[in-house]
Amino acid sequence: MPVSLPQIDEQPGAAPEDWEAITAALSRYVRARTSRSDQVEDVVQETLSRLVEQSRQQTLVSIYALGFRIAANLLVDHHRRDRRYSNEPMMEQISEAPLPDRVITGRQELSALTDALAAMPPLRREVIVRRRLRGESCAAIARDLVLSLKAVEKHITRGLADLHRAMAGRDE
Amino acid sequence: MMTRDMQIAADAALWVNRLDQPAIDTSASAAFDAWMAADARHRENFADLQALWHSDTLLQALEQSEAAVAKGEAPVALAARLSGWRRSAPWLAVAASAAMLFVAMPDLDVDTYRTGTGNGRTIVLADGSHVDLSGNAELSVRILPWRREVTLARGEAFFDVAHERWRPFQVHSGSTSVRVLGTAFNVDRQSATRTAVEVYRGAVTLEAPRAEDIVLHKGDRARVVDDRIAAQTPNPDANAAGHDRPDWTAGWFEAADVPMSVLIAKVQRYSVRPIRLRDPRLAALPVSGRFQVSDPARVLAAIRGAYALEVRYDRDAIRIAPSAAVPAS
Repeated sequence: MPVSLPQIDEQPGAAPEDWEAITAALSRYVRARTSRSDQVEDVVQETLSRLVEQSRQQTLVSIYALGFRIAANLLVDHHRRDRRYSNEPMMEQISEAPLPDRVITGRQELSALTDALAAMPPLRREVIVRRRLRGESCAAIARDLVLSLKAVEKHITRGLADLHRAMAGRDE
Repeated sequence: MMTRDMQIAADAALWVNRLDQPAIDTSASAAFDAWMAADARHRENFADLQALWHSDTLLQALEQSEAAVAKGEAPVALAARLSGWRRSAPWLAVAASAAMLFVAMPDLDVDTYRTGTGNGRTIVLADGSHVDLSGNAELSVRILPWRREVTLARGEAFFDVAHERWRPFQVHSGSTSVRVLGTAFNVDRQSATRTAVEVYRGAVTLEAPRAEDIVLHKGDRARVVDDRIAAQTPNPDANAAGHDRPDWTAGWFEAADVPMSVLIAKVQRYSVRPIRLRDPRLAALPVSGRFQVSDPARVLAAIRGAYALEVRYDRDAIRIAPSAAVPAS
C-alpha cells in the first residue's frame, strides 16, 4: 500500500534526509508490531508527519531514533484507543485488559520465544530479563552480576539474536 | 568466524540496546543515523529486532520464564550459572548474594525524568502505567511494593495509571496531591503554587493543605491555587469521541481565563529562546482561547493582536511588552 512521502522544504546546510529509506524502515517495524494491518499506514503516516514537524523546529540529533520512538508511542496510543472503544463502559477493568496484539498473538510465537529463553545459558537469560522485563540499566546489571559492561552488552546482543532466530525458524 | 549477515544482526542488536536508554549522547545518535543510512539490510535488521524487543509477546515469554524460575527451577539455574562463571570464591559469594537480594528486594531507587525544550516524551513506569511528559518538565518516580509515588517538580503530565486494587498511585505537585487506584488524568503544574487537574477516565481524590479532599470524576476539572481547591465547570467535551487525552499532548492548550504567564510557560516548552514578559502586570493578565503552543511564533502573533502587545525577537530572548505606550498609527 502506498504511503505518500512528506514534502519538506530543504533547509540550506541541512543534510537531506532519505525519506524513502526512513519510511521503509518504519513500515517494517510497525507491520511487525501490530496485528491490525489497517493501522499500519496510519501509524507510519502520522510518524512521518510528526518527524517532519520536529525536524522543522529543530535540528534532530537522530531522525531514525526519534522516528522509531514516535512510532512506538503511536502504537501504544492506538492500542489504548481500541481498548476503549471495544469494551469500555467503566473505568477500572480497562487497565487490566491485555493489549489486543497480546490476545491475538499466535501461541506459536510465544512458545518459540519461551523455548529459546529456556535454551539460553541461564546468565544470558537473566541479563535479558533484567534489561527488558525490569528495565534495569546495563550498568546496574553489570554491578549486580559482577560482569563488565561489555559482557552485559554481549549477552543482550547474543540473546536478541537467539530470540530472533527462534522467531524466524518458526516461519519456515 | 562471523559472516557478514551475523555481523549486521549483531550490530543491529547493539543499537537496539543502546537506544533503549533514558538518554543517548549526540555522537552515538549521529553514528546510529549513519549506520542506518548506509545499507538497507541494516535498516531491515534493526526494524525487525526493535519490533521483537518491543513486542508484548517477548514480555509475556520473559514473564513466563521468570515464573518458571521462581517456581523452583531457581536453584538449578543458579547453580548452573555459578559453575559456568569460574570465578574465585569471594566473588561467587558476592554475586550469589546480589542475585538473591535482587529476588527478595524491590528496587527502592527514585527515577527522575527531565525533558528539555520541545521534547516531550512518553514514559512507561515499572508498574505498567504510562506518563506523557511535556517539554521543560521534571518528574520523579518511586514504585514501592505498597505504594506508587510520583512528584511533578515542573511541567505537565498526563497519567494513564495501571489499576492495582491494593497499591495506590499518588501524584504530588507542590502542596497538591492526587490519589488514585487506576485511571487517566492530567496534572499541570502551572507555577509553584498553582496546579490544574483534569480527569479523563475513572476518578481521583484531590488533596490540598487548606481544603477538604474532593473526588473528581471523568470530565471534572479543578485548580489548586495557594493551597485552596477551586472546582471548574466540567469539560463539556468529556464524552466526545477522541477526548481521551489532553490537548497539550498534541501541542495545543485551551486557556479559560488563565494568567498570561501560564500560557507563556506552555509556549516556552517549545521555544529554544527564553520568552520574557517585560511588565509584571502582563503576567497576571487573564487570557482565553485555544492556542497551538507547539508553534510559538503563531501563538505570539495571535496574542500580540488580541492583547495589544509588542513582541520583539532578540538574539538572546523573545521579549513581550504592552504596546499601549506606542501611539496607534
